[in-house]
Amino acid sequence: MIKNSSNPPTIQSIVERTKTVYSLPLFYDRLNEKINHPRSSLADIGLVISEDQGLTVRLLKLANSPLFGYHAKIDSITRALTLIGTQQLRDLALAVSVMRSFSGIPNEMLSIKSFWKHSIACGILSRSIATYRREVNQERFFVAGMLHDVGMLVMCTAIPEHVREILSDSKNRSELYHVSERKYFGFEHGAVGSALMANWRIPLNIAEPTAFHHSPAAALRYPLEAATIHLADIICDSMGFNQVEGWHIPPVDNAAWSILDIPVSQLDTIIKQSEKQIEEACAILSEAL
Amino acid sequence: MSIVSIDNLEPGMVLAASVLDKSGRLLLGEGAELEEKHLRIFRTWGIVEADIVGVDGAGSNALPDNITQEKLDQAKRTLLPLYCHANIEHPAISELLRLAVIRKVKHDQK
Repeated sequence: MIKNSSNPPTIQSIVERTKTVYSLPLFYDRLNEKINHPRSSLADIGLVISEDQGLTVRLLKLANSPLFGYHAKIDSITRALTLIGTQQLRDLALAVSVMRSFSGIPNEMLSIKSFWKHSIACGILSRSIATYRREVNQERFFVAGMLHDVGMLVMCTAIPEHVREILSDSKNRSELYHVSERKYFGFEHGAVGSALMANWRIPLNIAEPTAFHHSPAAALRYPLEAATIHLADIICDSMGFNQVEGWHIPPVDNAAWSILDIPVSQLDTIIKQSEKQIEEACAILSEAL
Repeated sequence: MSIVSIDNLEPGMVLAASVLDKSGRLLLGEGAELEEKHLRIFRTWGIVEADIVGVDGAGSNALPDNITQEKLDQAKRTLLPLYCHANIEHPAISELLRLAVIRKVKHDQK
């Protein structure tokens, strides 16, 4: 199936090519180090975040948005750490940082705006599903949902000529995009995204659901997370938050649907709860682009 | 019988199946007629739907008055091709399609 290249791209070659251009700021490593160090205090962790002005502003805006619904104003990172939690704030910081490191991506194949709108919507819906299921630490669902399609961005920059071909292939054959990718490369954007995450040392509870958001049954360590992102992704497409207009809605995996154990009538409520938050989060995060 | 969501439950409806809370505790038995206080108790215990006697699936979800069946059918015809790869018989997908159709009609009216 590979047409215009003597050297067919592999997951590894795509990641290699990307990681030289886009690096997750050193900051994420330092933040992790501080959080995991037994002797660091909230003030120490706060200090690492506060060094990055742009990030600090965005995190505080998020903390004060309806996403969290605190009554009192959260005006410092230390306070946000106390109220929202260190792991959670780290996860939010990760989402904002990754989004920023990709801000320079050219717009021609994929509308960057629609891409992030889809991603943020998927993150919020994943979080709402987790809230409904009363999961602990819901921010990891937000991050996993928000970054699940990062592989697509990576491929757009690393191998644009192939992506252009797949985009038109999938359109002409009215095929699902990831199905066209599999036929063309033998792998899809989920695998690319998770390979890059592994390279950036992003935890597996985010990388695995990313890898398998179109085939959640293959997620062995984090089946619940994968099922959540899988469903949230489909809801987004169905609501019209797609990356490319006119893309088909993918099928729901039966096993994933039963793991989640959500009554059908609850979908409407989950969507309604998410809608306002999606608008709000998009407004805050899009400033980073 | 049909599953009716909590927002559409009304006093006088009759349960076709018992209502249990998340841990399986019986809240109200099969055959009971709903009263206002039952609805309040359901909400308190996080019940989102109940199986009701004599309601067909289509009628159980009330629509705003200004949305006609004709407009719904029209919107559905437009959206249906996008779902050609999705398993449309799946309860989740068919609900998402129903919501998307309503969404589209509301959006078009604006």
